[in-house]
Amino acid sequence: MGRGQTIFPSSFDSVSQKTEKATAAAFSQHLPASNPFRQTLTTYLYLAGIETSYGYFAPNVSGSYNLVFELHYPDGRVGYEWPRVNSAAAGLRIAGLLDEIGRTHSDGFREYMVKMVASSIWHEHPEVKTMRAILGSVILPSLRDFERGKAESYEFLYAYDFSLSDESTEPAK
Amino acid sequence: MDAWRGRLLQFLFPVETDRWLTVLRLGLGLQVILYSLSLLNDWNYLFAATGKGLITRNFAEALLSLESRFVPRLGWIVALGAHVGLGEGTVLSAAWICLLAVGCGLVAGLFCRCSAILAWFLHLCAAKSGAFVSYGVDNFMTIGLFYLMLSPLPDRYSLDWRLRKSRPKDPQVLGFWRRVVQLHLCVIYFFSGLTKCLGSGWWDGTNIWRALTRPPFNIIPPEILVGWKYFLPVLGISICLIETGYPVFIWLKKTRMIWLICVLGMHIAIGLTMGMYLFALIMIVLNVAAFGPDFGITEIKGYVGGRKSVPVLARH
Repeated sequence: MGRGQTIFPSSFDSVSQKTEKATAAAFSQHLPASNPFRQTLTTYLYLAGIETSYGYFAPNVSGSYNLVFELHYPDGRVGYEWPRVNSAAAGLRIAGLLDEIGRTHSDGFREYMVKMVASSIWHEHPEVKTMRAILGSVILPSLRDFERGKAESYEFLYAYDFSLSDESTEPAK
Repeated sequence: MDAWRGRLLQFLFPVETDRWLTVLRLGLGLQVILYSLSLLNDWNYLFAATGKGLITRNFAEALLSLESRFVPRLGWIVALGAHVGLGEGTVLSAAWICLLAVGCGLVAGLFCRCSAILAWFLHLCAAKSGAFVSYGVDNFMTIGLFYLMLSPLPDRYSLDWRLRKSRPKDPQVLGFWRRVVQLHLCVIYFFSGLTKCLGSGWWDGTNIWRALTRPPFNIIPPEILVGWKYFLPVLGISICLIETGYPVFIWLKKTRMIWLICVLGMHIAIGLTMGMYLFALIMIVLNVAAFGPDFGITEIKGYVGGRKSVPVLARH
């Protein structure tokens, strides 16, 4: 609500943000991480599985993300790869990971996550010389647009270049 | 004041049979088995710390340590294995086998308490070490296994009861733990429903369309969904009403069965139309254990744990 993603008017945002702060205080989030009370409460929340909220697919269903790796081989060949798993159940988990990467507002966190996935791709293709990771979001057509013949599209978000020295360049946007 | 205290105790400690616990044990056992099998070929890939994995487990565990150093994680088990000369891959495989075995133990009702504790611990380790690849099903499995491990096991349909003649130490808290699960579900559905109600897309069917066409949940071809376009807003509003109304209508005798059927139908539909089979199963298990038929809320004739007590399992 505090982020203005609900049907409430924007004037409600500040009230929501204050409520969020009060809730965080109630759960000792304002205390230092090393505080024993916070540690105990946090540990209990994790052990009981109640550390997260229950707003699944709410307030609105967001789009999904796509991460493709462009592999550049020493002989000039170019190949494409993406995170793969062996079952549909594990596929749901990959989708969650891509959402995590796509939604974060932290550039450093996003780059680090992409770099980790890139390193696993590299492990499967050790002969690759350089690699470009392209993160995009999947734009779903609305029902009305779909009826008019519009298909899903992709929006480019970020690109990262990796080389064997494991240094990534500044992301292109 | 005494009357209020009495009512509260009656509510929190109702007389209860252990049939709900049987449902919870069997359901969670099946859930753990299916969870393990669903990750059979990806377990080491998802949870490895070395370069072989998708993302290093160490990062998720480091972030977890910032929150709390006492939350179980696979790194602990791997470190323990390293002490006896076992490699990471071997330890991870052993953890997977153990999880599958305790799932079977729960279904059979063999060494119920140990199986429940181990299932909770191993699953929690995997869920937290793989925090970046976990989703709602992991939270609900943790919740279910947490309550199962604290409940008075074994139940009368377990092999522990029948073969090993083992009996629960505190059967008088059967009703209490069921009540906790019931209340927890009410909180979950209420807030899940409330946050949906606040989104405009749940009132006009947009979010149903988006949820069903969004990869990787797009099992049903959109061409088929278009044929149901007038039904989508009804479906969206129904979900909002079912979830938000859950804490009220699941308690009323006249509406309890209708609401339970609606909720179960909703989860079956989510499982079938979005491919979230494990998520559907865990929610069905929790709902049936908490508010299932024939093990519904018993008439409260007294309460245990207070001044007035009634022998538990008297109905048997």
